[in-house]
Amino acid sequence: MRYRWPIVPDIAMATISLSRGLDLPIAGAASGAPVPLDLPATVGLLPPEFVGFVPRMAVQEGDAVQRGTPLLFHKSNPDLLLLSPVAGRVKEVRRGARRVITEVIIEVGGDGAVSHRQWTPAELSKIPRDEATTGLLRSGFWPHLTTRPLDKIADPARPAQAILVSGTETGPLQPGADVLIPADGKTALQAGLYVLKALIDGPVYVTTPAGSRHPAFQGLEGVSTSEFSGPHPSGDPAVQVNHLCPPTGASGVVWTIRAWDVWLIGRFFLEGSYPGDRVYAAVGLGVKQPRFVSTVQGAPIAHILGAISDGVRIIRGSVLTGESVSSDAYTSYYRRGVHVLPEAVERKVLGWAMPDLGTFSVYAAYVKGLLGSKTPADVRPGVYGGHRAMIPIGQYERVIASPDILPDPLFRSMIAGDIEEATKLGLLELSPEEAALCTYICPSKNEFQILLRESLAAYEKEN
Amino acid sequence: MKGAIEKLLGSVRPHFYGEGKLKWAWPLHEGLETFLLTSSEKTHQDSHVRDPMDMKRLMIFVVFAILPAMIAGMWNIGHQGFLGEGNTADAASIVQCFLRGAWHMLPIVIVSYTAGGIWELLFCIVRKHEINEGFLVTGLLFPLTLPPTIPLWMVAVGVSFGVVIGKEVFGGTGFNVLNPALTARAFAFFAFPAAMSGTGSVWNVAGKWNPFTAYAEPIQGFTGATPLLAISAAGRGGDPLAALAAEHWTWTDAFLGNIPGSMAESSALAILIGAGMLIVTGIGSWRIMVSCVLGLVVTTGILSQVAGPESMAIMHLPPHYHLVVGGFMFGAVYMATDPVSAAQTQVGRWIYGFGIGAMVGLIRVFNPAYTEAVMMAILFMNVFAPLIDYVVIQRSTRRRVARLAAQGG
Repeated sequence: MRYRWPIVPDIAMATISLSRGLDLPIAGAASGAPVPLDLPATVGLLPPEFVGFVPRMAVQEGDAVQRGTPLLFHKSNPDLLLLSPVAGRVKEVRRGARRVITEVIIEVGGDGAVSHRQWTPAELSKIPRDEATTGLLRSGFWPHLTTRPLDKIADPARPAQAILVSGTETGPLQPGADVLIPADGKTALQAGLYVLKALIDGPVYVTTPAGSRHPAFQGLEGVSTSEFSGPHPSGDPAVQVNHLCPPTGASGVVWTIRAWDVWLIGRFFLEGSYPGDRVYAAVGLGVKQPRFVSTVQGAPIAHILGAISDGVRIIRGSVLTGESVSSDAYTSYYRRGVHVLPEAVERKVLGWAMPDLGTFSVYAAYVKGLLGSKTPADVRPGVYGGHRAMIPIGQYERVIASPDILPDPLFRSMIAGDIEEATKLGLLELSPEEAALCTYICPSKNEFQILLRESLAAYEKEN
Repeated sequence: MKGAIEKLLGSVRPHFYGEGKLKWAWPLHEGLETFLLTSSEKTHQDSHVRDPMDMKRLMIFVVFAILPAMIAGMWNIGHQGFLGEGNTADAASIVQCFLRGAWHMLPIVIVSYTAGGIWELLFCIVRKHEINEGFLVTGLLFPLTLPPTIPLWMVAVGVSFGVVIGKEVFGGTGFNVLNPALTARAFAFFAFPAAMSGTGSVWNVAGKWNPFTAYAEPIQGFTGATPLLAISAAGRGGDPLAALAAEHWTWTDAFLGNIPGSMAESSALAILIGAGMLIVTGIGSWRIMVSCVLGLVVTTGILSQVAGPESMAIMHLPPHYHLVVGGFMFGAVYMATDPVSAAQTQVGRWIYGFGIGAMVGLIRVFNPAYTEAVMMAILFMNVFAPLIDYVVIQRSTRRRVARLAAQGG
């Protein structure tokens, strides 16, 4: 009989190596320590970011607020709050179609913070569930817990089967734990994990990049730690959920959260006030000096970018899944990277036949693809071809890192609008990052993440 | 250069778009524009960046991969022609053979591209689609499977059938069930049997006019048979290798492409170079190619072992000969791998390819007079590919459901 390693949960460090995916070598990475910035004049909160949150104003325009004052509450659950990251005055509430609140803008000024109970790590290790829940709701960090499937904010009334705390980030040029959690961040990270652990009966998983020696992640208690290695999307929480703790049953749900946000939760409980400071990354070739900055949550994008070139596209998030915004927009609650992408797309004569030495492609029909080039490249927002029917040459399999997903049949059923069949084939497991990589790689120029959003909307309508 | 092209396209652009007189023909302008210059279109939302690979480049690389077989075929057509006229093997230079072959092959290819291209354009205009590059491959593969003596009007009729019935009625490239090039060939085979098959001189251009030698008659008693026909003629109890030796054909000849046959199918070596290009670029599925070979080798290996003294000669033919004679290599590398009509799951591709190889073996051995084994085997498995995929997908779905249930426990 073959010897088998004993399985010891919570102690054994499992390494999960994913070979499928793509690390897009895109130039313009930030480097160095975060640059501390002066306070911006205004900060913004963007309610549409919180999928499933129906915002109602807790304050009025012109009201003075402190750091940690509730700005918005959820229509059907007034305990679910979003807080002001700074002290100041509510300058403006912007509304979009059907008077939905799209931006709440705070004029920064003065100081003062709402104070809460300060916990010690020892107390937190035994925090009861109801106190953990109400504490987390009050902290304004609850919406950082998002669900798999469907990527909505967690519902306090519907506990998760497991919580996955992802300490990995593999999105192109996006900042990860090495920048966002300081080396001495273990106490706060552990404190945050105690709170999460108390929320549910199920396990809490923490993932780190393979080989990372970040001190904050060493010897964490009460959680099951796994390492992930491999190209993007190996660091995507949704993909990690599919490997470690897929939701089961018709209504099973798993919550995911980023480790750097858990670190902030820990700080809230330890310090007794809302930590409004954030590290963001300004990246891409459109930024004169790509850099990490230390500022406040919701700072204006122009504030963190510094000097930028003309003719650029500003993307809140990564080039794969981020959102194109104007230069007067505000930074995201969830996404810490802002990518500035030069817009100009060069047209090439007889491009379909040229060897094209300088162009990055994953396909061996280009020299750089043939050689497997990983040199950071000047990637531009061109479509580079006409829209065609899907021709399955196994290209999507190269970037789908979740197990047991057959991309071609899945996409076909999604295109056909057969949601029942698509669900059987893994519609709910497919991560938006994977769909975006399929879009990137598709020679027929199909847009799979749009298809995914439409299919998930149809799924919710049917169920 | 680029500026001049942009200026020219821009100056005629108003005629094709908006209220222009030629607005019905915009696919023509779009096709020409994107042929000359890469697209200027930008992404408008996530994903903001895209790989530069597009269908044009993908299809043109398939064409590049076909070129070695085409070039070897040109030489071989000329070479076989000179041999058929009673010359010795070194009577004509390589260049002469090549040019003579090109003289016969290029008109056929040009007619195929022109006739098929007109249909393609017509459908694009009626459907208001952009011109689809899939035809670059179909329009080349179809003529290369024909005998070099085929009348040009048959090429035009055949490719028209392939494009219209094989592809466009299903909705164009990406939606067809059968390989359009093989559909065209099957049509030509049944519509024009005399010109497409048989033991006549259809496989050899000997005696046809050519610009390099004076008009010459084929030598007396010249049959122009292909290796498979020669083996088939050996009948029951015959020795297949002796039948090949009688025509001075060795395995190496067949491998290098020094045997008569369809225009570009003869050189296994050239086709293997093409296969390498398809595999390295990831465009052709190596799984299908390998499993086709496995299917043929396993089937003919077993059959040649169980063959008795009364069996047909071809049943005794060893598997490694089966690989290099006839259209097997050409079919396995260029036809079976058509991603649209093949199985589309990885496991399914193995089954699909193996089925093609096995069926080629069975048809060749049990119906040796029938020369179209490869074409029929691929079309047959094209029909079965959706069923194979269905079974593979069902299994995968069940496994997923079981895994999710187990992890929940």
